[in-house]
Amino acid sequence: MSAIEINNVNKVFNAGSGNQVVALTDINLSIASGEFVSLIGPSGCGKSTLLRLIANLLEPTGGDIVVNGKSPKQARLDQDYGMAFQQSGLFEWRTVAKNIELPLELKGWDKAKRHERAMEMLELVKLADFAGHYPWQLSGGMQQRVAIARALAVHPALLLMDEPFGALDEMTREHMQSELLGICRASGTTVVFVTHSIPEAVYLSNRVVVMSPRPGRVTEIVDVSIEGERSDATRDNSAFFKGITAVREALRGVEMSDHVRGIEDR
Amino acid sequence: MSSRASTLVRNVWPPAVFGVLFLALWEFVVKFFDLKPYFLAPPSKIWQKFTENFDLVWGAAKVSGTNALIGLLAGALFGMVMSLVLSRFRVLNDLITPLAIALNAIPIFVLVAVLNNMFAITSEVPRRIMVTLVVYFIVLVNVAKGLTQVSPTHVELMRSYAASDTQILRKVRIPNAVPYLFTALKIAAPASVITAFVSEYFGGSQNGLGSRIASNIANSKNAVAWAYVLGACLLGLVFYVISSVLEGVSTPGGRAKRSQEGR
Repeated sequence: MSAIEINNVNKVFNAGSGNQVVALTDINLSIASGEFVSLIGPSGCGKSTLLRLIANLLEPTGGDIVVNGKSPKQARLDQDYGMAFQQSGLFEWRTVAKNIELPLELKGWDKAKRHERAMEMLELVKLADFAGHYPWQLSGGMQQRVAIARALAVHPALLLMDEPFGALDEMTREHMQSELLGICRASGTTVVFVTHSIPEAVYLSNRVVVMSPRPGRVTEIVDVSIEGERSDATRDNSAFFKGITAVREALRGVEMSDHVRGIEDR
Repeated sequence: MSSRASTLVRNVWPPAVFGVLFLALWEFVVKFFDLKPYFLAPPSKIWQKFTENFDLVWGAAKVSGTNALIGLLAGALFGMVMSLVLSRFRVLNDLITPLAIALNAIPIFVLVAVLNNMFAITSEVPRRIMVTLVVYFIVLVNVAKGLTQVSPTHVELMRSYAASDTQILRKVRIPNAVPYLFTALKIAAPASVITAFVSEYFGGSQNGLGSRIASNIANSKNAVAWAYVLGACLLGLVFYVISSVLEGVSTPGGRAKRSQEGR
């Protein structure tokens, strides 16, 4: 069963006015349950817009989207997905545990059950000792782990991530990537992951969706076939490098048509 | 805790020493140049008048302080309620916020003269209304900012949790506005005392600190006037300290602390 179906989706901002911007044209994408799919492309290619359409934070101008067999709006109301952004978006007036409890609070869970789940999530991201801390007492990487724990707190079938590791240093970032894979493997979560980094996309994904700007569209979908479980050793694997080369070439096609900013080739 | 205490001592003694030296210099200048009491009274004389007239100063401080406190509370309450209404109805916000800022820029003290005509000559109400108005605008502008200037990520997150506007208000906007409220109160508390004094210059009962200062100067009782000025300083200080302490107590997680440690 597919977790997400995107058919002929268009998105136009400020339609009809002088500063009309065509963000996405004719997007077709099907994401299977349990799959890890990255969206990659230069700034302005509409990858974050596409993620927000799936999340129902934006409405498409045309076409239709099905999330978990429902409309995106119903999926949002049912809290079928968890979301994480580049900014951890933690509430600084809430402790770490209370931050994770927030989505459960809004679902109407009682206090004991909420706390139990929050502690369970903190175990998962290895921050159980920090439940009573405030976000500003944590490092950037720890804050992002709390944000991921919060996104997973409702045990969603789907995780939507918008450059969640973009603000982290390289070492923390690689560590977080491995942790994210471990968590998703354990829970069978489907992930849609927006990134600027080619190695990050290849390391994490089953498929990498390469997008190009003006207007935003899908130019190529690269299958990443790496045998066995991914670990830090994967980063030295020839299949990993093959994947990187394939994505880079797909992006180069994009580059030739337009100057590209914001692709990290590391 | 002990390190905090030692920091406190380290922060306190330089201004304390400076203050004492300043008073000593003042005393010396008055004595050395034999300045006339109607020109400048020496600190020792002011202190003497202050202790002699303590009951009178205290009584006057109670009158001005009560006016300031009532105005502060009423203004803060109206300001908070109005900012909640404005954040809820953006159209009203666009109408009223520029007006509030414009009104805040003009010397609205003069209103007290108009208000004095509307109430009995001995009424304290015009002064309290004056303080309320001044505090109201300070609180309104700041709290409205806190309610509206929330992180876009926070709002997107809340929408992804299917939160209603009311839930976003309760869980994001109001907590976000709390530090703004205390910033406003920290500005408004001394302003309320100043407004209460100045309002007394526009007539009404001659019972507050402001009117005592004015009448003593008019009677060339310079040192006594200074004693009332001292009372006024102390009253303003009390208001400021209370609002600072409240800020420390009621911001969970010590957001004030965080901004200090960040530096």
